[in-house]
Amino acid sequence: MDHSLDPGESLTSKRFWDWFIFPGGIWIALLFAIPLFLVLALSFGHVDDFGRGVYGFSLDNYRDVFDATYIPVLVRSVAYALATVILCLLIGYPVAYFIARYGGRYRYALVAALVIPFFVNYLVRTYAWVALLADQGLVNNLLVDWGLTEAPIQMINTPFAVVGGLVYGYIIFMILPLYASIERMDPSVVEAGKDLYGSPFQTFIHVTLPATQAGILAGCVLVFLPTVGDFVSAQLLGGPDTYMVGNLIQDQFFAASNWPFGSALTVVMMLFLAVWMVFYLRRASKGEAEVL
Amino acid sequence: MSGEAIGIQGITKKFGDFVAVDDISLSIAQGEFFSLLGPSGCGKTTTLRMLAGFEAPTSGRILLEGDPVEKVPPHQRNVNMVFQSYALFEHLDVEGNVAFGLKRKKVPKDEIRTRVAEALELVALSSRSGSRPNELSGGQRQRVALARALVNQPRVLLLDEPLGALDLKLRRQMQIELKAIQREVGITFVYVTHDQEEALSMSDRIAVMSDGKVAQCGPPEEVYEHPKEEFVAGFIGISNLLEGKVESGGRVRIGEDCLEVPDLGDGHTEGESVRIAVRPEKVAVDEIGSAAYRIEPDMFTVEGEIESKVYLGVGNQLTLKLGNGGRLVALEQATYRMRADEQWEVGQKVKVGWHPEHCMVLG
Repeated sequence: MDHSLDPGESLTSKRFWDWFIFPGGIWIALLFAIPLFLVLALSFGHVDDFGRGVYGFSLDNYRDVFDATYIPVLVRSVAYALATVILCLLIGYPVAYFIARYGGRYRYALVAALVIPFFVNYLVRTYAWVALLADQGLVNNLLVDWGLTEAPIQMINTPFAVVGGLVYGYIIFMILPLYASIERMDPSVVEAGKDLYGSPFQTFIHVTLPATQAGILAGCVLVFLPTVGDFVSAQLLGGPDTYMVGNLIQDQFFAASNWPFGSALTVVMMLFLAVWMVFYLRRASKGEAEVL
Repeated sequence: MSGEAIGIQGITKKFGDFVAVDDISLSIAQGEFFSLLGPSGCGKTTTLRMLAGFEAPTSGRILLEGDPVEKVPPHQRNVNMVFQSYALFEHLDVEGNVAFGLKRKKVPKDEIRTRVAEALELVALSSRSGSRPNELSGGQRQRVALARALVNQPRVLLLDEPLGALDLKLRRQMQIELKAIQREVGITFVYVTHDQEEALSMSDRIAVMSDGKVAQCGPPEEVYEHPKEEFVAGFIGISNLLEGKVESGGRVRIGEDCLEVPDLGDGHTEGESVRIAVRPEKVAVDEIGSAAYRIEPDMFTVEGEIESKVYLGVGNQLTLKLGNGGRLVALEQATYRMRADEQWEVGQKVKVGWHPEHCMVLG
């Protein structure tokens, strides 16, 4: 809304309200922008003899990021994230569809039931999966007790466990935007698809999916972005073979004490994710323009 | 008109304990413009949705050109629907929307192109074929929905209050266009509306529905002039109801006065209570004491007083309190005979009259 067109609002009061930007602005500058700038600055630095980061200017850290040693870690992170996005979409779409279209008066209760587990910290929820998937964990004990297997199956420390943990950790970010877009869809559009000779499957492909594409896109991006940089799932549920870029960064700061290299990794990952973010925002704003 | 397009044989639809449609039977002829008219909740939309296949009847049969279709899913029924919300596919342009049904039916590409072009020409939208639905006005969106359905050359076109979202002027214009298009394509139209004027002006026949039942079914003139029930008389136009008692010789006593009713019909016994309905536009009002100006010699007359007056531009709507305690609404059309300074005043004593043959007797 253009405030200058509002006759009820004088110039002085507009200036008065403008001051309210400062508390939040200062907060962001001190606690977000400055640390981010420090990370950026440090990424061009090096480590001194005592293992402390020293500012400087060299591109060595960036060269190291794309060293053959770390390429598999980067590729693995993106691959795990993509697998997570696809699984979240395949699991989340039917759930969101069912609640939005058939939830009736229980709709909000069902959405709440989905959200409540996410009140528990992600780390704690992932530990629960350790208890489930460990060699002496709940699942293996049941399998052995029921005689389905003789010995426990290796579940933890596998890529499946890591991706499973990621799906469990982030699926709500897929379901909520999907639910919103499916609920917003005019149900008669689906009927129109069937009325115009579309079988239920054809109608889903040609009508329902395109009508909810904004939610699909939002869900995919919201799951992809945090998943790429995640380190909790790989640390708790994975092993050396499932090492992700998030683990690599964490180790640079807390184990290897190579803050400049960790900073360079962080900057590269942020740039990579920013590309996706820009892509998403462009599509989203275009979609919004179409709705209006 | 020849042959039956749709046969509805005793269909009932229940949602839990609620009976939405209660044992309806209708026969709709080929090429007919048939309206289902009634207030919201009367079951008209549920009936239409059963014809489309979105709802399955709890019991009863639906015949489409003689073939039972109650178990045929919507995408295999050769009927198409124009939705109240239009339900256009926002991700497709106008052409893509109209071509949707033909593509699903695997019609050859060349044929799709020509048929879509014809359909868009029929609804005068050829110039907007590349537009997205959200770039169109309400009236244009409505036309796209119509073209999208008609292009499939369905046996029957179902329309669910298609003009409900348009403003009055556009609605009047679209009524005329819809009727013209229906004549041109010759497809059977089943039209759901709660707007009595819309139903009267467009339909070949109207089924007036109430509480899941068909109260009366017939041509517009018959439904309007000879309503069988108080509900029909009241729903189609305003009706004045007067309580009366049957007397001998086809006469009905209303208060002090006796009124001879030509179409009283048989089966009324002396002393029976009946209701007499008169349309407001059939009631004539004259000043007392002056020469008869509107009231004609063979009219039944009573005296009354003007209780209220609403100026409508094209005339006046007067509420009259009759001497015998009843109330009547009179719709007085302004005519070339009217004096420019002619004014009714509230409280004025008047003479009220109407022709006995304009009395409708309701059971």
